[in-house]
Amino acid sequence: MSIAKLENIHKVYHIGKIEFPALRGISFSIEEGEFLSIAGPSGSGKTTVLNLLGCLDKPSQGKIFLEEKDITALPTAKLADVRRKNIGFIFQTFNLIPVLTAMENVEFPLILKGQHDPKERHRVTEEILTEVGLKDFLHRRPNEMSGGQQQRVAVARALVKKPKLVLADEPTANLDSVTGEEILQLMLELNQKTSTTFVFSTHDRMVMDFARRLIRLRDGKIESDQKVKTK
Amino acid sequence: MKMLFKLAFRNVFRYKRRTIITFSAISYGLGLMAVGICLYNGVDTHAMDNIIDYQTSHLKILASGYFEEKDEVPLEFTVDEPQEIKSLLKDNQDIRGIESRVLFQASIISGMDELPCLGVAIEPEVNPLVFKIKDSIIDGRFLEPSESKIILGSGLARDLGLKVGDDCTLRIFFSIEDFIWNALDLEIAGIAKTENPMVNRTTVFIPLSLAQEALSLENRVTELAIRIEDRNKLLKVRNSIEARLATLDKDYEVVSFEEYASDFKELMRLRSRMQALIPLMMILIATLGIVNTMLMAVMERTREIGMLAAMGMRKKEVMLVFIFEGALIGIFGSIAACIIGGLGGWWLEAKGFSLAFLGEKITDIVSFMPMVVYKGDLTAGTLLFTLILGTVISILASFYPAYKAVKLDPIQALRHVG
Repeated sequence: MSIAKLENIHKVYHIGKIEFPALRGISFSIEEGEFLSIAGPSGSGKTTVLNLLGCLDKPSQGKIFLEEKDITALPTAKLADVRRKNIGFIFQTFNLIPVLTAMENVEFPLILKGQHDPKERHRVTEEILTEVGLKDFLHRRPNEMSGGQQQRVAVARALVKKPKLVLADEPTANLDSVTGEEILQLMLELNQKTSTTFVFSTHDRMVMDFARRLIRLRDGKIESDQKVKTK
Repeated sequence: MKMLFKLAFRNVFRYKRRTIITFSAISYGLGLMAVGICLYNGVDTHAMDNIIDYQTSHLKILASGYFEEKDEVPLEFTVDEPQEIKSLLKDNQDIRGIESRVLFQASIISGMDELPCLGVAIEPEVNPLVFKIKDSIIDGRFLEPSESKIILGSGLARDLGLKVGDDCTLRIFFSIEDFIWNALDLEIAGIAKTENPMVNRTTVFIPLSLAQEALSLENRVTELAIRIEDRNKLLKVRNSIEARLATLDKDYEVVSFEEYASDFKELMRLRSRMQALIPLMMILIATLGIVNTMLMAVMERTREIGMLAAMGMRKKEVMLVFIFEGALIGIFGSIAACIIGGLGGWWLEAKGFSLAFLGEKITDIVSFMPMVVYKGDLTAGTLLFTLILGTVISILASFYPAYKAVKLDPIQALRHVG
């Protein structure tokens, strides 16, 4: 089943009186369980695609479907609901809440989603943190963890609510290559284990190598869209 | 909601230095405001007590028409049967004492000097039950019934250079307009320095019988001053007195100290408006503190706000985090302000704020005010007002930064480099 579909998407940014076309009519669909990388040089439009898929932005033209449902015209509040329930984010700079522990950071999306039973919440949170290898770091705050550990918390946070789609914007850019590879390996394992769909933007060769499908963008257009052999 | 509160609570301690500065501004500002209110309340209470203790007592029985002309101190409106009225009211347990008095216009002459004054004829044996003049004698002694002596207010004595044992002439006016007067040569028995500067500067006390004889009043008086046991029962006692007086042939009116001090009350009311400027200034300080702190927080946490929005947090929830945060600083600050206000108010109640260093002349300027020491009046209401004010201001002041936070575009916010 198609998890997400972009149809002839155009996106134009206006800065003052100047127009910047970021996307110029791109179309593709993402199937459930895919491990997809969107690659391209700076300014190619990869982050814009991620923002549109993540319901953070609206296209200037074209349609976006999430699980066959047209979400293009949904109001901002409804888009927030879609994000809350269906989309997990992993950021380049981890973006954990510094005043919360690893446990609390991961628990947060569950609370937002309306999981009110604290016991169940703690069980699920602990389970996923154990899965990402942070069983002994449950009560540490972000500043008490390494970059790799923080990104693992971010991965757990993105996955804990069992979203349809996980969007990762250059998830390894702030990590050294060894840690970056560990994180990619972790995401790949979780993708295979849970069939969660992962889409990440990158210009890192290593990340592209991990992807099972690679869409290359250039100047707001799809340059290539190909399946990649398993590493 | 619990999570939002937890987040807000921890964020309060995230930028400790800034929180401490805002907290201090609120606690000191509102704390000083509370102390100021205590002082003002204390001065008002004390000043009102001074009026009661030295001038008006709690209630006065007057001949009908007297009150309207009271500023002229008229002698034609008299209470003709004071003893009968006293007998009528003697079984009233709420009344501590009733004194027959005559108020008259006079001037006091010492050698070449003559100063206008208010003559107050008192019953020396009853007066201490109703007024506190006896306790205010700083030199000499209090009056004995029927003696030909007087007590002078300390200011009057100072201005005329008179002391205990000196002789002086009291010119008693029947009518100022017609310049009809009688003169008495009297010896000064004592000097009174009350806590009411007006009395000290203007009043001469003489025994009632002497004044009645000099003014040809026979047994008549111009007023009966009544002290009651409990000021809270004023209305009840007044009603009961009025009911008793209704049985008499002549019309009398019962007037409370509040009516007598209506000018002073008006002054207090006007001053309380001015006084409202103090909370307004404190509101400004607290508002600026909170707005500044929270705006800085919004600026520094821009990317975090973008992340929260990306996770699907609703605008209302983001707003609540910032409002809770501001409110918490405000509540902590207000609690500290209550402690500062409570301690300051307690100290003012116990010790008072002395103006002695300004010299005695200061009381000539602030005529209604207590003598030299300004005592506070700490009430739970003042502290509650401080607490509520601080909390409400903080919540309101947090709205603008919170609004700024939710107006951020999540994409721009996520890109923000802090």
